[in-house]
Amino acid sequence: MSEKAPFHSRKTYRPGLVFQPQAQENIKRGLNTLVSAIRPTLGPTARTVAVTSLIENKDSPEVLDDGGIIARRVIELHRRDADVGAMLARALICRQNERMGDGSATAAVLLAAIYNGGLHYLASGGNAMRLRHHLERALEKSLVALDEETYTVEGKRKLAQVAESICHDAELAKLLGEIFDIIGAYGRLDIRKDHSRILRREYVEGMAWDSGLFSRDMIVDRVELQTVYEEPALVLVDSKVNDPRHIMPMLEIAVDQKIEKLILVAAELSAEAMAGLMMANGKLKNFQVMAVRGPGANADERAAAFEDIAIATDAKTLVEAAGDSLKDVTYGHFGRARRGWASAHNFGVIGGKGNPRVLRQHISRLQRWLEQSDDPQMRETLQKRIGRLMGGSATLWIGGLSEIEIDQLKTLAEKTASAMRAAVSDGVLPGGGMAYLNCRSVLESRSQAGDDPDERAAHRILFDALAEPARAIYENAGYEPGEVIAKLSDLDNGFGFDVISGAIADGGELVDSAAVMKAALRNAVLTAGMMLTIDVIAHRQTPEIARQPG
Amino acid sequence: MRGERISLELTGSDATAYALAASPGFAKDGLCFAATSGGLYRSTDGGDCWESLPIVEEQGAQMAATAVAVSPSFDQDRTVFAAVKGGILRSSDGGDTWFAAKFPAPPPLFTTLAISPYFAQDGLMLAGTMEDGVFSSTDRGVNWQPWNFGLFDLGVLCLAASPHLREDETILAGTETGLYRSTNGGRAWRESGFPSEFAPILSLAYAIGKDESLLFAGTEGKGLFISCDDGASWDRSAPNSLPGSVNQLQILYKPDGRAEIYALSEDGVLRSRDAGQNWEFLAEAEDPPTAFLVPDPSGEAMFLGLAGKGIVQYEL
Repeated sequence: MSEKAPFHSRKTYRPGLVFQPQAQENIKRGLNTLVSAIRPTLGPTARTVAVTSLIENKDSPEVLDDGGIIARRVIELHRRDADVGAMLARALICRQNERMGDGSATAAVLLAAIYNGGLHYLASGGNAMRLRHHLERALEKSLVALDEETYTVEGKRKLAQVAESICHDAELAKLLGEIFDIIGAYGRLDIRKDHSRILRREYVEGMAWDSGLFSRDMIVDRVELQTVYEEPALVLVDSKVNDPRHIMPMLEIAVDQKIEKLILVAAELSAEAMAGLMMANGKLKNFQVMAVRGPGANADERAAAFEDIAIATDAKTLVEAAGDSLKDVTYGHFGRARRGWASAHNFGVIGGKGNPRVLRQHISRLQRWLEQSDDPQMRETLQKRIGRLMGGSATLWIGGLSEIEIDQLKTLAEKTASAMRAAVSDGVLPGGGMAYLNCRSVLESRSQAGDDPDERAAHRILFDALAEPARAIYENAGYEPGEVIAKLSDLDNGFGFDVISGAIADGGELVDSAAVMKAALRNAVLTAGMMLTIDVIAHRQTPEIARQPG
Repeated sequence: MRGERISLELTGSDATAYALAASPGFAKDGLCFAATSGGLYRSTDGGDCWESLPIVEEQGAQMAATAVAVSPSFDQDRTVFAAVKGGILRSSDGGDTWFAAKFPAPPPLFTTLAISPYFAQDGLMLAGTMEDGVFSSTDRGVNWQPWNFGLFDLGVLCLAASPHLREDETILAGTETGLYRSTNGGRAWRESGFPSEFAPILSLAYAIGKDESLLFAGTEGKGLFISCDDGASWDRSAPNSLPGSVNQLQILYKPDGRAEIYALSEDGVLRSRDAGQNWEFLAEAEDPPTAFLVPDPSGEAMFLGLAGKGIVQYEL
């Protein structure tokens, strides 16, 4: 009986160099192997890929229809030369999936088509560097053409159509259409598992953070397990309040200014200071105070949260780094809100009385940072901050008949939501590969009449490649791609082929996220161009690239 | 001005008429309402006599009514809404009996009410507040929910529902710091193209023309603005006629479909018959005007609320 090799065992390879033509042939083999596994998942009638389990002693394979996840599961090809091609493709597909949530299979199909076309041209004596240069120029033209095809979508029905084109689940799409119609591109959406059998959504007013009261003794409503204040004032301290005497100036100002409800948000609070606040709650007439832990898992997140709360409520944070302490508080540090609430784990503000103009500027600044950032973690943090400041949040509760179904649906909902954000923010394009087919017209003349053979080749390669996603979609649905494309070429750009009904449809009914489609094309061309210039493969002792993708 | 006379006298130095509303069949039934600092008033004879409606008492006096709105299908549903501090009251019998809807504490201060033009079908109504943004009801004012996604400024001064609300679901909200637009019936808001340096926006109105719809926005101290592209871009209108605040706007459609625009400035009421290009003074007010109403498409009569005085009726 053969013994299974443990998953984490690290094979060691001899170092070595691989030259042409083997290098390119093997890269091509690896690339096409991986893309062949992902191509069947493209389109609304996607077929599935069974991936054997990574967990030992678990016999049932995972059945997947998401190109991004399939690529992530393929961690190494057997032949190390081919593995280089596969892992370069894998890095592209994973990046597309992480950043956009959709378009992985499209990017994979485009990459293979461009690389294969490019390699064919290089075999006839073309120059790789010049081909790459012209591919990138042709890419720019194609992106401009895609921009011209892009239009915005509004309204829950249209947005539900976009969602359905991504997730192919009508019920989920309907809910996501409604949610994104309300929260827009930047709103906060939590997707959570539910114990029910259905999908449902919930909207919550105001801003909320994942940190709660320092002490459960401050919970007033013992049924809802929370404390709600009307017209509270807020004091923000980004440091630990140790000395109970430091809370006295704050309490004196509150009493002088006839503040009846006060929320102290501090990084930490000593037991003595807490005791002082509890005593104030008992002794001071018409006055209640609650103390909330400052949100954020680290100093940076906490500073950001304090900044957001301060702007939303017109408070001024007492910053330890600037030498501030709670004992220095003045009335000018106090913020205001219509309502404030806190539980053991969360707190929130409704109707913060900050300056709306300042709040708008702050949100615009965060949006600019989000657009400029490539770091997924930073993007997620910024997205959450903006979402909170928009004044409400939505929660999509995922129910189902089994834990597996709920998990799968939750993953699908998260992926769709990510692509929906891009669609709401950047608009949509004709779906089903039509946008790519339409934009080929800008490449056609140069592919035939250019002076430079490398330029002509680059345009022709991209022209052909742009038809591949549509071909894959039609093939996967059981149609003859050539016939469908020929039918469509007789019609205006406003029509597409609906593979579900098998009929020509109005382009407005088939849509894809513009940002996703543009990112897939850009990533595929840039990666293919780079891969075409690889002349030599140098193997190190252990193929690190296979273990650190993306 | 012909036939100027005090229609409703309000006593007290802070006596103010905040809003006026009339039945769509005013020409026949003569029914109109006035929301004032002294409570809600109703007239059933075209404004000759007014009766105080006992809606909510506060310290032995009627609580101030800050807004009033009449259903566009009043003939069938007899529905009237009135806003008081902390609540919205609903009457389904033309103002004889009233029911209060619940709102979360602290009590909202309502500034404006807007009813869907398709109220009979969709039951949609919105209420703007000083500090709590917009509340919306989709069950004819029985239950209300705050819907403030994307509304950064919760001081809402005016609301306007698109005449094509059923198709475009568009509602506009004027605030202290800018103009917001909802394309989903008031559930979420986005900033519109209105230049925020001209805010606050005190009044909004849609006018449907033969070929295009016009959107009017009256500002505090910076005149009237017109948009021909559904709020994407704005132009200042008639800076000489309306140089300052435009506190209220009303669109009246003549029997031939022509729209007349009425605007309440600091000095009185003006009318434009050419889509806001030229304006004529209808009533110059000696006391600060607070609200007005041309209750009938014939445009023969007008009510004007004057601070510290009451409501004056004019024949135009």
